[in-house]
Amino acid sequence: MSKSRAAVAASAVALLAGLTAACGAGGSKGSSAAFDPATCQGGTLTVLNHRGQGNFDPAELYTSGGGKVPTLVFRTLTTRNHTTDGPDSAKVVPDLATDTGKPNQDATVWTYHLKPGLKFEDGTPIRSADVKYGVERSFAPELPGGPPYLRDWLIGGEAYQGPYKGGDLASIETPDDTTIVFKLRKPEGDFPFLATATQFAPVPKDKDTGTSYQKHPVSSGPYKVVSNDGGKTIVLDRNPNWSRSADDQRLACPDKVVVNSGLDQSVINQRLAAGTGDDAGAVTSDTNVNASVLARLNSDAALKSRVVTGFFGETQYLAFNPKVKPFDDVRVRQAVSYAIDRESVVNAVGGSSVAKPATTFLPDQPAFGYTPYDYFPAGQNGDPAKAKELLAQAGYPNGLTITLSHSTVTGDGSGPEVAAAVQEALGKAGITVKLDGTADDDYQTKYQKPATEPGLFLASWGADWPSGGPFLAPVFDGRQILADGGNYNSAQLDDPKVNAEIDAANRLTDSAQAAKAWGSLDAELGKQAYTVPLYHPVYKRLYGKDVKNTYVSQWNGLYDLSRISVK
Amino acid sequence: MSETSTVPRSPDVDPRPPGRHQVWQRLRADRAALAALVAVALLVLIAAAAPLICALEGQNATTFHNSLIDSATGGVPIGPFGGASGAHWLGVEPGTGRDVLARLVTGAQVSLAVSLGATAVQITLGVVIGLAAGLGSRAVDTVLSRAMDLVIAFPSLVFAVALMAVVPGGFPRPLLLMLVIGVLGWGQTARIVRGQVFGLRGLDYVAAARLTGARRARVARREILPALAGPVITYGVLQLPANVTQEAGLSFLGVGVRPPTPSWGQMLASATDWFQADPSYVLLPATLLFVTVLAFTVLGESVRTALDPRAKSRLRAGLDRRRGKRNPEEAEA
Repeated sequence: MSKSRAAVAASAVALLAGLTAACGAGGSKGSSAAFDPATCQGGTLTVLNHRGQGNFDPAELYTSGGGKVPTLVFRTLTTRNHTTDGPDSAKVVPDLATDTGKPNQDATVWTYHLKPGLKFEDGTPIRSADVKYGVERSFAPELPGGPPYLRDWLIGGEAYQGPYKGGDLASIETPDDTTIVFKLRKPEGDFPFLATATQFAPVPKDKDTGTSYQKHPVSSGPYKVVSNDGGKTIVLDRNPNWSRSADDQRLACPDKVVVNSGLDQSVINQRLAAGTGDDAGAVTSDTNVNASVLARLNSDAALKSRVVTGFFGETQYLAFNPKVKPFDDVRVRQAVSYAIDRESVVNAVGGSSVAKPATTFLPDQPAFGYTPYDYFPAGQNGDPAKAKELLAQAGYPNGLTITLSHSTVTGDGSGPEVAAAVQEALGKAGITVKLDGTADDDYQTKYQKPATEPGLFLASWGADWPSGGPFLAPVFDGRQILADGGNYNSAQLDDPKVNAEIDAANRLTDSAQAAKAWGSLDAELGKQAYTVPLYHPVYKRLYGKDVKNTYVSQWNGLYDLSRISVK
Repeated sequence: MSETSTVPRSPDVDPRPPGRHQVWQRLRADRAALAALVAVALLVLIAAAAPLICALEGQNATTFHNSLIDSATGGVPIGPFGGASGAHWLGVEPGTGRDVLARLVTGAQVSLAVSLGATAVQITLGVVIGLAAGLGSRAVDTVLSRAMDLVIAFPSLVFAVALMAVVPGGFPRPLLLMLVIGVLGWGQTARIVRGQVFGLRGLDYVAAARLTGARRARVARREILPALAGPVITYGVLQLPANVTQEAGLSFLGVGVRPPTPSWGQMLASATDWFQADPSYVLLPATLLFVTVLAFTVLGESVRTALDPRAKSRLRAGLDRRRGKRNPEEAEA
């Protein structure tokens, strides 16, 4: 099924050519006509964030496509396409490597070559061994976090304890200073997507200080870390050993970047809307506009022009545990699907501007393989009559009482507001819902362990990269049921047919073919009503008055910090 | 309030509080007290008649009205004053379209019930522990007094947040709130009671009861408890508004009663996101909370003055000839 090696190489070359062209045109559709990449340098970019950055160590960061702030400091083997806002922005492009990777016949061996002239911030050249060391560090138990795939995919990854205790990992080979080879234990056509993660950033072994490396990680990107007080304020300055000639993805216009975290979300919106002083050159990478900004948009054209809208592949859903009665009965699950009022749910999280109703588990974007379906049409406000009919068939003619578990974090998609909206809608169909709220950390631990998993709960799944694989496999693959916790297969589904289809789709290295396979699998799974998809979030974000070139990526739904200018 | 402020030292002053009739007379003469009393009565009436008010308006606290809010602007109610109309007298809640009046009056039930219950728990614990400390042996007194110090010095809000978070979800939240606020707030009452008991213990009538051979429990019940009623009632009424705010605070922090049960604190918490887009939604619960706390505080102060045997000169100067003698402490009372 897999495409030939030559074809992949050809497409990579074509992609590279397209990129260079896009870059020359200056990021094409910028927000401001005045933007010119040649003269955009200068000024300070301020990033106002709600959540903290956490440990700024490439081994510990869990990013999609290299991250928003991390991509300014860490270059990776491949990266998301930073240079455009079209469907191509959901594609993977080479970063440190010369191409997105050459697979062998069955996509179990992936080979990369480094570009010439790459340097760390101290001027030493970047070698393939540094990339290997960076990947190996991410296995160290001292440096937790990061995506789980490396451990699962690389040969020997399961038992490897990282370079501090476990020596080196034999399944990563570096035959010379510019070549690196990854050997996987099973076919994975999505390996180039995984190689966008910060775990694939080079780390010089002689500069590694273990757990304190995060205070000053050695930069391979356009900026280096000047100060970092525990992720609350991170100050970045230019890396003199980086140049645009060796990096076709980042423009790095501002001279300095300051990341302020831990701010209140309404404070972030007010500061961005007012845009006074330093805030004129401010953006946010994690906070949606709130009601007070939304209410002003229709009457304030200037403010409206400073809002960008994008999509990140994510689905908020009601999860069933069919091991718990009465959810073992597909008719009960279907009745809940029919009864759901998606308009109330959408309103509970901020209205139609920041969420769109979902009937499919896959996000509604082509890169994921979106295949529209709505097997249990509930319309906007639910179909309680149909739900009652199904309940009667299932043996509950007088309705039933169930418990919905949720997190107690307000304003969150799994929080009490959404739970109340679900409770209200199901009540109309004769289903009495008791709410069981748990503090967030405990909530996650509870539903991610099959032994303590509730029968019905609110959950969400976000994309590690824009492809159907990381979206469906962890949730529906029977071999990914984890009895000790960290389990996302909430239906505890172990269907040999589904497992086989997942394997077949993973073998595909052509993203268009793979998308089709994932789409049809999702449409098949939807019939069983293991989940009730509620909504896909919409990213609507403000930026300061002086910020330019704010086109939105289809990979992460946001303007690109490495491309915007504040001058 | 210092331990001995209401304990008379001179034996010619009757230590027992004024009679019921006398208290009522004093309160009636105090206009602020009357206004506060009317306000409190109204609030209790509103809370008690919440289902009736909802029925009268034809709404309830939980039904969503998606058509009354503008989803595209984040769920702001359509129309002025938070979407107030003939059907929804005080408008609807942003984000859900639930009726604000119904939620306010239902929320009043929770807020008042929790604060009354919590006060009852505080007073009961305070009186029992204070009596035990005041009448028990020196060792018992030392242990209990240190316990009081501990409870008073404890950062009760932090501890309450922690307690509310660890109790399993199945436990009824309003009851839990009552218990947590009550159990963390008996220290002051106990200390006052202990101080009072020390003062009363040495008085002639108590000594007489003891000399005739009455047991300690009987002395406590028959001789001391009635004399404690004044200060304890006073302290209870003053503690109520503090408990109203405590409940609102815990619900505001997200550890109080849980949705869809409305409470004022919870309404205020969700209103913080809306104060620009829908100001009336913030003003309504805030005003009610303000009025409640003010009314209880004024009432508490008035009851305290009316019950104070030595405060008569201020309220009913010169009317009571029998206790005309001025006490040096009275100037500050």
